[in-house]
Amino acid sequence: MKTILSTVIVLLFGLQAAVAEAADAYVPKVYGKKGYVWDEMTPERVQVLKQKGDPVNGKEAFRGCQGCHKSDAAGVREGVYPRLSGQHASVLIKQITEIRAGIRKNPKMLPFVQDPAISVQEIGDIAEYLSTLTSYRENGKGPEDLSAKGEKLFMTNKCYTCHGKHGEGNAEKSYPVVAAQHYGYLIREMNLIRTGVRGNSNPDMVKAISGFKQSDMDAVADYLSRLPDYRTVNATPNPALVVPESSSAAK
Amino acid sequence: MKHKTNSNGLQVCTFIALICVLFMSAAHAETMQSNEAAASEVAAAPTPEAAASEVAATPEATAPEAPAVALSPFEERLQLCAGCHNPDGNSIIPENPRLAGLDKKYILIQLRDFKSGDRTNATMSAIIQMVDEKEFEDLAKYFSGQKRQISVSEKPELVEQGKQIFEEGVIGSAAPACMGCHGEDGSGDAKFPRLQGQNAQYVVNQLTNFKSGERANDAKGLMRAVAKRLNEQEMAAVAEYMSTLKEAE
Ligand code: HEC
Ligand code: HEC
Ligand code: HEC
Ligand code: HEC
Repeated sequence: MKTILSTVIVLLFGLQAAVAEAADAYVPKVYGKKGYVWDEMTPERVQVLKQKGDPVNGKEAFRGCQGCHKSDAAGVREGVYPRLSGQHASVLIKQITEIRAGIRKNPKMLPFVQDPAISVQEIGDIAEYLSTLTSYRENGKGPEDLSAKGEKLFMTNKCYTCHGKHGEGNAEKSYPVVAAQHYGYLIREMNLIRTGVRGNSNPDMVKAISGFKQSDMDAVADYLSRLPDYRTVNATPNPALVVPESSSAAK
Repeated sequence: MKHKTNSNGLQVCTFIALICVLFMSAAHAETMQSNEAAASEVAAAPTPEAAASEVAATPEATAPEAPAVALSPFEERLQLCAGCHNPDGNSIIPENPRLAGLDKKYILIQLRDFKSGDRTNATMSAIIQMVDEKEFEDLAKYFSGQKRQISVSEKPELVEQGKQIFEEGVIGSAAPACMGCHGEDGSGDAKFPRLQGQNAQYVVNQLTNFKSGERANDAKGLMRAVAKRLNEQEMAAVAEYMSTLKEAE
């Protein structure tokens, strides 16, 4: 009994020392853990958002990413590597800074995005560059067309309130574009977000998707993968993408 | 491991480097894609190719005691490098890199890193001690201006697997495609060196050293992160493929 007691005491002291040591380091607050705040403004993210992204620099810095995301940033059809072209800069910045901070788990990519592989300035540069990229290859789609079922689920579960009726997301609120993304990637992320493994799940999205069976996720993923690039949908013109020559006609 | 023994052997004969190297060149000449430079390099050795190229042989190579024309200090220096890297920078010794067509800035960084000890190799670290830092600029300029030769492989299955790795990476271990950084035809630039036509054994040695951390002068640790995700078999395959890679038109 005495030995057990002293072991416990020793362990407690050890634990305390470990906690004290880690106190000065930034501790990522992950989904499901105490203190998790969705959309936390980490110091690095604040810094990136303050500076102006330079797309020319971004193109150069993106060379180190091309081995996985490919030179047109359209990723791979199987969805192992997601399409990044045309994603909102605010979303890219949120994801990259959260991956660097250890909030979103992505060990495969970490060595290539962590400091010093890319600098804080380069995060914003790359995001600016990618958000303007229009070219993309044919994306990966589901094995059979389930878009009718998928669309219904997407609307009835209010997914569109955040991701938009055309899957266009919301740049201001950092909600990602989900249209024309690879099917395999969409399924994986829904699972990772729902189970919290991704680390940066949005709690309201977790609620919205909690009743989904795997077959429901397959259908939604298929539906989203078959949507056109949101910027080509007339109903949601993006002023940033209107080319100067045609601007008079648009007015 | 294998290349270390080899390098140590070479270090022993650093002062008679040229003799050593001529000997090795002769041994390797038949297995390599021949070029005039290689042929003139082995002119002193009794091989049929050497005899055939006697006309093309430089006076320095055949009669070092009595050069027909006085060599400039730069030309003399170049002879030291040529012994291991060939006069045109297309080394035919498997462990020695081809310098031809490497970016000037990249060569300069490597020479400085060998000098400072940031990059080490028994042979090259010993050689660099004989070279003054003031000479680096001209050497880098010369070798970067040479045309890179490519090799012919006799291992088609290995080449095929290597092409896959070069273009797609390795999905299982998440090794990124080499093409992403080094360019679609491996022609590279100052940041990501030219790999096209590079000697396969040299490439395997570098990948092994990046993986173990023995070579750690890659900016931002990018190449170490890649090499950690390759196994020995994948290294051999991608190296074989790159040695045959043609420059895009
Ligand atoms: C080794 C391969 C690899 C490299 C190199 C790589 N990534 Fe990734 N990246 C991935 C993988 C895998 C994912 C998806 C992870 C997951 O499923 O959660 C990803 C996801 C992302 C995402 C999130 C996309 C989204 O829709 O949420 C962003 C942003 C991103 N990468 C940016 C970059 C940038 C910028 C670079 C270069 C500085 C880079 N990546 C380099 C493998 C890589
Ligand atoms: C409250 C807003 C909200 C709602 C509602 C919502 N999501 Fe999301 N969703 C997000 C955010 C935010 C992310 C990105 C992860 C993050 O940064 O938190 C995301 C990510 C995703 C992703 C991964 C995209 C990527 O690029 O990584 C998919 C797929 C997705 N949501 C599908 C759905 C579906 C299906 C529903 C409805 C069942 C839904 N979402 C409801 C906010 C929402
Ligand atoms: C005795 C043989 C020998 C001589 C002489 C020699 N080198 Fe090397 N050199 C090597 C070897 C072996 C390596 C590969 C080192 C390694 O494996 O890391 C090398 C590597 C290099 C590299 C690195 C190339 C790369 O792709 O990273 C450069 C640059 C270089 N040598 C330049 C020179 C120059 C310039 C000279 C003449 C001053 C010279 N070398 C003389 C054997 C030699
Ligand atoms: C993320 C970018 C990146 C990717 C992807 C990449 N490399 Fe590299 N590689 C580098 C950098 C940076 C260097 C330069 C290191 C230095 O400056 O010393 C390098 C150097 C090398 C060298 C040494 C060249 C020499 O002359 O000494 C070899 C060999 C090499 N890489 C092979 C590969 C292979 C094989 C692959 C694919 C499996 C690959 N690399 C993928 C960034 C990359």
